This record gives sequence, structure tokens and C-alpha cells, in this order.
Amino acid sequence: MKRSTRTLSIQKREALWAYVFIAPWIVGFLIFTIGPMLASLYYSFTDYDIISAPVWKGLANYQKLLFNDPLFWHSLKVTIKFAAMALPLNLVIGFLIAVLLNQKVPGVNIWRTLYFLPSVIAGVAVALLWVRIFNARIGLINPILQEYFGVQNPPGWLQDPNWAVPALVIMSLWSVGGSMIIYLAGLQGVPTTLYEAAKIDGANTAQRFWNITIPMMTPVIFYNLVLGLIGAFNYFTEVYVATSGDGGPVRSTLFYNLYLYQNAFRFFEMGYASAMAWVLFVIVLIVTLLVFRSSPLWVFYEGELRK
Amino acid sequence: MRTKKRFLIGLVMVLALLFLASCSTPDTPTDGGDTAPTDSGEAPTEAEGPAETAKVVIFIGMGTGTDPDQIAAQEALADEFNSSNDHIEVEFLIVPHEEAGERFLAMVSGGNAPQLVGPNGTSTISQFLDTWMDVTPFIEAENTDMSDFYGPVLELNEFPGKNVGLPLGVYPSFVFYNKDLFDAAGLDYPTHDFSDTSWTIDALRDMAMKLTLDANGNDATSPDFDPANVVQWGYDDSWASGREFAAFWDGPNVGRPTTDDYKTADASSAEWVEGFQWLSDGIWTDYFIPDYVGQEAYYAVGGDPFGGGLVAMFHSHTWFFPEGLIDLPFEYDIAPVPYNHNGTRVATIHADSFTIPDAAANKDAAWEVMKWLTSPEHISDVCQIYGCLPARISVEDEFRGVLSTNWPALDLDVVFDSVEFLDNPQHESWVPEWGKIEDAVNFGLDQIYSGENKDAAAVLESVNTEVQKILDEYWADH
Amino acid sequence: MQNTRKKMLMTPAFKQRFISGIKAQELLIKLLTTIALATGAVIILTPLIFMISTSLKDRNQLRANPPPIIPWETVTAEVDGKLEPLYEVDIDGETRQLALIKNQPGGRGLFVDPAQPETVYELIIAEQTELRTVELHFENYPEAFTQVPFHLYLINTLIVTFVGMFGMLLSCTLVAYGFSRFKAPWLNVLFLVLLSTIMLPRQVTLIPLYVFFQKIRWIDTLLPLIVPNFFANAYDVFLLRQFFMTIPAELDDAAKIDGANPFQTLVYVLLPQARPALVAVGIFHFLYAWNDFYEPLIFLHSRENWTLAVGLQTFDALYSVNTHLIMAASVVMVLPPIVLFFFAQRVFTQGVVISGIKG
Repeated sequence: MKRSTRTLSIQKREALWAYVFIAPWIVGFLIFTIGPMLASLYYSFTDYDIISAPVWKGLANYQKLLFNDPLFWHSLKVTIKFAAMALPLNLVIGFLIAVLLNQKVPGVNIWRTLYFLPSVIAGVAVALLWVRIFNARIGLINPILQEYFGVQNPPGWLQDPNWAVPALVIMSLWSVGGSMIIYLAGLQGVPTTLYEAAKIDGANTAQRFWNITIPMMTPVIFYNLVLGLIGAFNYFTEVYVATSGDGGPVRSTLFYNLYLYQNAFRFFEMGYASAMAWVLFVIVLIVTLLVFRSSPLWVFYEGELRK
Repeated sequence: MRTKKRFLIGLVMVLALLFLASCSTPDTPTDGGDTAPTDSGEAPTEAEGPAETAKVVIFIGMGTGTDPDQIAAQEALADEFNSSNDHIEVEFLIVPHEEAGERFLAMVSGGNAPQLVGPNGTSTISQFLDTWMDVTPFIEAENTDMSDFYGPVLELNEFPGKNVGLPLGVYPSFVFYNKDLFDAAGLDYPTHDFSDTSWTIDALRDMAMKLTLDANGNDATSPDFDPANVVQWGYDDSWASGREFAAFWDGPNVGRPTTDDYKTADASSAEWVEGFQWLSDGIWTDYFIPDYVGQEAYYAVGGDPFGGGLVAMFHSHTWFFPEGLIDLPFEYDIAPVPYNHNGTRVATIHADSFTIPDAAANKDAAWEVMKWLTSPEHISDVCQIYGCLPARISVEDEFRGVLSTNWPALDLDVVFDSVEFLDNPQHESWVPEWGKIEDAVNFGLDQIYSGENKDAAAVLESVNTEVQKILDEYWADH
Repeated sequence: MQNTRKKMLMTPAFKQRFISGIKAQELLIKLLTTIALATGAVIILTPLIFMISTSLKDRNQLRANPPPIIPWETVTAEVDGKLEPLYEVDIDGETRQLALIKNQPGGRGLFVDPAQPETVYELIIAEQTELRTVELHFENYPEAFTQVPFHLYLINTLIVTFVGMFGMLLSCTLVAYGFSRFKAPWLNVLFLVLLSTIMLPRQVTLIPLYVFFQKIRWIDTLLPLIVPNFFANAYDVFLLRQFFMTIPAELDDAAKIDGANPFQTLVYVLLPQARPALVAVGIFHFLYAWNDFYEPLIFLHSRENWTLAVGLQTFDALYSVNTHLIMAASVVMVLPPIVLFFFAQRVFTQGVVISGIKG
């Protein structure tokens, strides 16, 4: 009898501590976040042009979105195409660069700063810069392709419906330094004792990498994967600046969020845009849940050993 | 120990918040701030208390006006008004153009709508039509004299159900041409004579083809012409939207892709198809108009089609003067827009007005400021900031003087005489679901420029279908 | 087998060869790494050089075709009251500098000597050499920062960035700790709710948020940009949670046995271990706040309250994109974060994080 009450109160106390610590977030959520979120959910069931009061329409927006709007599917396709290219590349390249930058080479601080530099530049400048670089006539890339690689008809990049999204992927890769830091922090957190023990056991570099580095880095990879997914689906600012908000040419860069933005602020269909937002929310939530569900299979937390 | 730490942290947080609250700028910002050196007139007005002076916030950003030079000029204008008027305080609210629409809508929703918005082109006015108040009651109550405004321009401010404001300025359009390129090709410049009927769109085409050169110097009429290596183009009209480009061809509804009652789509009339096909042929068969990839050449070197010297003729408006005609390394002039195949001339126009949001407070004060800005004494100064021609007949001579000082190379008769050929219905005029229809027509133009579909009839057929669908959806709810 | 190997390791000769073998391998790795980094660096650097080069051009040079890396300008001379470009021309075996005054058909042009404008020569333009000088317009930098009230924007940006960073570190550490080291009902659900707050596109919550801030009179102050940071955000909580979960739980247990409450465990056990993560999170927040223009743009009205990123936007006006000024301003705006990063690296190179527990 006594024992069970003591165990209960330990559990209860642990739960209490947990809630005390996450209290700042809960308070902020209630004040700043939940209101606008619920408001937008409400708007998604209405016809709302922002300047006059919303008019209830039930599920009409969702019906139109899913069954009567080819641009919905088109923009979703564009976004998924981008995510499918950008996400794996960003993950792998960021990781590899971080590994390289984790080595004790001379001047490593300078190398790190250099690779980090692009992710620090203001978005509007980056977009303008790359619009110039991708210029199909006299940018940086095509002349090099023609002169040094003998490419006869280099792609039109941002002016070519087939190459616009790949161009945006490349642009996003330039700023890979951002996620590189996270990998670096993770690599720095891997205890060197593990490597030493492995070395004594005769493991070579490749084996150490595969059996120590990667498993210990899975929590960080997991983080970058989840946030990368959310970020890819929400990709907006760079597209907006690079295509002047049109999603051109011929809607080949009409990302989901861009189409949402057009509906909200160009067509005055805030209700419809809110419906789009919540559909995206559900999609991203499901994908994130799937990733979370899969995590016990491949993510290794040393801090969870006792559990 | 634990409680003490928590308490300390909480205390720091509270202190930080207090610090912030005290040193953050108050809600009602003062006029001008640091950049206006002559900051004299504000203090006495504020001392009278907010009940005495009406605050008029002029929202700048929907169109032009956010350039650093323009900001300074607008502040000087505000000072001039404030020192002459004790009851109203004017402030220019500068919003970067990219987010101006969102900020405006947010302010309207949030209950602090600005008193004046502008300078708004017809496109902005049409897009946000439901937000503006109708100024007809003001005009009728005061019997405002409208005779000094250009007649055709007054019509542009008549929207379904309301007159949105007093006209501020107009931007007629014409063809800019690069004299050096004409000289190099040994061609005569286009005529400036408006009554010369030989200056047709076909004549322009012939001229343009001779002015289109490949890397070897062959022009587009030569059998050796290499379309893959064009280094100079004869003509460009890429800054025109779909509706604007179509307006030139003077179809039954000119620049409007619907009928008068806004119920039926009219985006595939014979004139429209003819026009779009002319464009398609110009890009893909005769090569004298650059496609999207070709446009990259001049965007890399100039930011606009004309300044880099790669385009011989460029159709644009007077707002191009302050931006594009700066320190050009070649000689240039302007010629009237040529006649189309109907035998008429349509020189599309842009027109700006300030407008008053219906949701704003102090609308009477806003009206006073609107009159001041468009008054004969001040309209010239205001228009110089934004690069438009004042919409008042009485200041035309004075403004000619201003233009000839800044741009001595231009034939100003072409500028002023082009006004009468404006497109009506104008290409930015109101249609239901303005944004969606604009998008639909531009998608058609997009397909031609990108080469996705070079058949104008097919393209406009689908545009027409889409426009009809949009109209049907609109009328189902209204 | 293993014993034999260990015995072999014991002999001095083998040890020496083993060690030098390892050293050689390490040297090879370092070399390869440096080469790989250098190759990547070229790709990274080239756009940057382009950027700096553009920042040193004036409007005319932006028109040069093809755009050069080193900004040059044509040398001009005055003929008949107009400035005409100078070319180096070979006439009768003599090299002279003549000005091109008019283009003629067939790629020819009329050239004159500015000192003796009466004599006109007709020559083929392509055969002459245009005279150019390198003109670096360093004045773009002061110009970019005087056209807008830079000092005000800087102060605002510093306030928003650093106070926000303080609030973020404070709140996110606490919240991440709560999510990573405890078991409680509904905790996983709440974590998912936390993540879901970044899944909804902010375009649709913008207006309700604006209306809210307008009602509590925070519009046109820096408060909407600073205060929410004191209540944690999904990105940083998520990252810190991941890091906390890599720290062995045995450390927590050891601290508990020593009588520490959870708060002390956080401060004395976890935080020292998580320093790289804290630095990373701090840097990220700095970057985000430094460059963010969307929210400041909506919530800040008066230009006195603007941040640097918003000020940068004014160069991207409707009809005049001042590319050279944008690049100049961007180059300068990059410097503080880079300096910060460079010095923060010291924390990264702490490196030797001993877990303290036998493997």
C-alpha cells in the first residue's frame, strides 16, 4: 500500500516538473499562436476577402480545392518535385561538408566561416544574385558550360519551364552552410573516447565513420530531415523574389505557398487560402508523423539507453 | 536555492520587458524622423492635442514612391503642407512595394486604415475596388471644378458604382528608339507625325527586322541570319501585360477581356488572336522580338529592355523616364505608337490617382489633402516625384518646361499628343475577380513568350474558356 | 586471436611503425580533406566575388555587356559638348586615341581626335580597342547607408536580435529540457503540437496576428518581434531536445543521487554538455532576426522603427532596382554575423566531450 502511493507520487512529480519546464511555451502558445491558428481555421470555412466580414460557406472551399482546382494539384506537384530534389541533396551534402570541416586541417576556422557565409546573406540579395548567375545569356553558369564543358545548348534555367525548379534547388544548396553547423555541433558532441576505443580495436576510417559517426549523428539527421521537410513544403520567399511572385515561366515555379499567397493577397480569397493552408498542414503533419514513427528504427539517442 | 534562481530569472525577464516597453517608439510616430532636416512645423501642431488636428496618413508603396530619393521629396512635400495647414497633419507612410498589399489589408483589418493611398494605378484601384470610398458626394457637395482635368482621363476614374478620386497623373505610351542603332543600320528614324498613316505595325516589323542582328552582323532579313546567336533585337514590348498588349489591336472591348456587362468573356476576338499571333511570329519566326531567354541578355546588362542598348525600339510609358533614361550612353528619342491593322491607333495609358479607403477615419481631412495634392499649384511638384504627366490642362506648359530640362533629347509633342489615343476600356480597368482574370490573360502571354504554345488561336481559346469560368463563378455568387 | 594482436602491439618496433602508419593515414586524410574543401570553396566563393564586384559598380557599369568581374568604365573625351568613348586606333602606323562620335552601317564608325575634331576618320569599330579603366565605386557603400537612416536601423536590429536571443535561449532551454528528460502524460502529443505550429504557412495567420497586436497596441513597436521569443519556438526547442537526448541519462541519475533537483541538473549537468548546441541555436536566432524582413515589415510602420533587413527592401523599389546598392548593403550586413560566427567557433572546437561513462 505504502509503496504504490510512493511510486505514484514520483511519477506525478516527474510529470509536474515536465509541465513546469514547458510552461513558457504553453503560455506563449495560448497567447500568440492558438488564436491566429483557430482564426485561420475558421476562415477556411468561409468566403473572406479581408475587407468585409467573412461569409460562411461550409466545406465549399475544400471541395473546390480538392475536386475543382487543377492548380492545387499542379502547385503541389511543383513543391513535391522541389522537395524530392532539394531535401536529399541538402541532407547529404550538408553532412559530408560538416564531416570535412570537422577534421583538424590548418585554417579550419576560415574554411568553416567561408562555407557558412552564404547562409548569412539576406534573402533578397541571394535571390537577386542567383537570378544574375542563372542568367541564360550572360550569367555565370552558362558561359562556363559553353566554354569549358562544351555544352552546345545550355539550359534556360529560370526562364525554362523544365529547368526552373532545378535552378531553385541549386540556389538552395548554396546556403547549405546553415544545416552544416548543426551537423558540426553534433559531430563535436560525439565522444572521442568512442573513436579511440575503435581505433584500438583496429577499425579503419571508413568503419569508424559508418559504425560510430553516423549512428551518433542520427538525432541531428532526424532534426534536419523533419525541418527540411517542413521547410521544403513551406518554401516561399526565395521563389517569390526570383520569379517576381508569378510562379513563371508558365507556372513551372508555382509552389504551393506561392499559389496560396496569390489567393490570399492577389485574388482576395483569404478563405480559400486558409483552406489551402490547412490542407498543407494536414499533409505535412502526416509526413512528419511517419518520420517520427520510423525513428525508433534508425535514430539512436544515447540518453535513452536506460529507457 | 532553486526558488531564488527562478525568482531572479523572472525578475530579469520582467525588467527586460519593462526596459523594452519604455524605450520602444510610441504608437503615433512623428513626421519625418531623422532624415528630414527641416523638421520645423510639427511641434506646435502636436501641442494642440490630437483632438484639434486630423491626422492624414498617406500610404505609399502600392505603386511607385518608395525609392530613397522619392522618400525625401515626399517628406519635403509633407512639410510644405503641414506648415500651411493648422487643422490637418500629413504623414507619408512608406511601405516597401513587395509587401504593400499585405500591410494595407492588415491595417484595414486592424482598424487603423490609412487616410489616403497612392499613387495608385488603375490596376491597384481595380484590384482593391471594394476598399475605396466613392468621392462623388464630396464632389457634388462642393461643386468641385473638374473642367481642368483631361476629359478622357476623368473617364478612367469612373468605376462601377463609384468615382474613386481626383486624377493625379497620366502616363501615355509611345515607342522609345535608339538612334545609334538606327544609324548603324542606315535606317531613317520612325516618323513623329501622328497623321502619317504609313507608320503601321507592319512598317515597324520591317524596320525591326533590319535592326535585329546576330553575332556576325547579319540582320533578320538575311538568309545567313543565325537565330541562335542574336545580339540585338528590333522591338520589345515585354513590360506590357497580356491585356495591355492586346489593347493595342483595338478589339471590340479594347483592353477589357469581357463584354460591357462583365458577363461574357471576350479574350479571343479576331483582333486579339491577330495580335498574339503577330507577337508569336515576331519572336519565333522573324526573331525580331526577344523571347524569355533572349530577354536575359538585356536584363543582365541593364535591368530594363532599353538601357543596355540591345533593343532598337521599346514600347513604354512616361514612368520610364526617371528610371530608365538616366545617363544613357547612346542617343534616343520617342515616336508615336504605330497604327494597327484596324487602321486605328491605340497608345495604352496608365493613370494614377490617390484614393481614400472606406474604412479610414477622418475622411474629410483626406479629401482636403487629396484636393491639395491635385491642385494646380501643387500637382506639378507631386507628379515630378512620381514621373507622371499632371492630369490638369492648365499646367501642361509649365510641365513641358520641366520635362525639357530633364530630358532635352525627347520630342515632347509625342508625349502630350499620345494622351488622346488612350485605350478605353483601359487595359487595367475593373473586371470581376480582377486578379484571377489578369492571371489568366497573362498566362496566355506567358505561353507565347516561353514558347510553350506558339499558336495564338489555341492559346487565346483556352484563355477565353478560363475567363468565362471565372466570370461564371463570380456571377453565381453575386 | 585478439591476445596475439595485442601482444604484437606491445613490441616497440611494431608500435613505432603502427603509429607512423597512422600518422601517414591522418596526413593523407588531411590532404584530401583540404583539397575537397578547396574545390567546394571555389563554388561557394564565385557567387560571392560576383556579389562584391557588383557592389563596386555604378549604374552605367551594371550595363556593361558582358558583365565583367572587375568593374571597368570606358574612358571618354568631350567632343562638341558631348562625352564620347575613346578608342585606341592604328592610323598610318601611328597609335592614337580617337573618340567614336557616330555609328555607321556595316559596323563602321566615325572617329575624331578630340583635339582636332575637324578631321573625321571612318573605321571599322570592331578592329579598334576600346579604352577602359578600372573604376571601383567604393562610394556605393557610404551611399547605401546614408540613403537610408542606417544608424537607426542598426540599433533597432541589435535590440531585436540580442534581446530576442536572450529570451529564446532562456525559454527554449527550459522547454527542451521538459520535453527531453521527463515522462508525463500527453507530453508526446504536446511535442507534436509544438512542431505543428511551424507547419501552418504564416500568410494565413498574419492578419489575425496583426489585428491582435493592434488591439494591444504593440503595432509599430519592436515588441511583436521580441516578446514571443521569451515563450520558446519550435525550431530551437526541437534542436535542443535532440541534443539533450544524446546526453546519457546516467548523468541525470548521478546528479539526482547527489540530491540535485531537476533545475540544478539542467544547469550543472546538461547545459555544459550541450554548449555546441546552445551556440548553434544562438547563432541561428541571430541570423534569423538579423535578416528577417517579413514580420518586421508588417508590424513596423514608422521608418524609425525599421530593422536593417526592412531598410534593404527599399532598394528593391517598383521601378528602380538599385542592384549595386543592394549588394553593397548586403555585403556590410553580412559582416557582424560572420564575425560572431568566427569567434563562436571556439566553442565548437572544444571538441573533447567526454561522456564520463564507461562505453
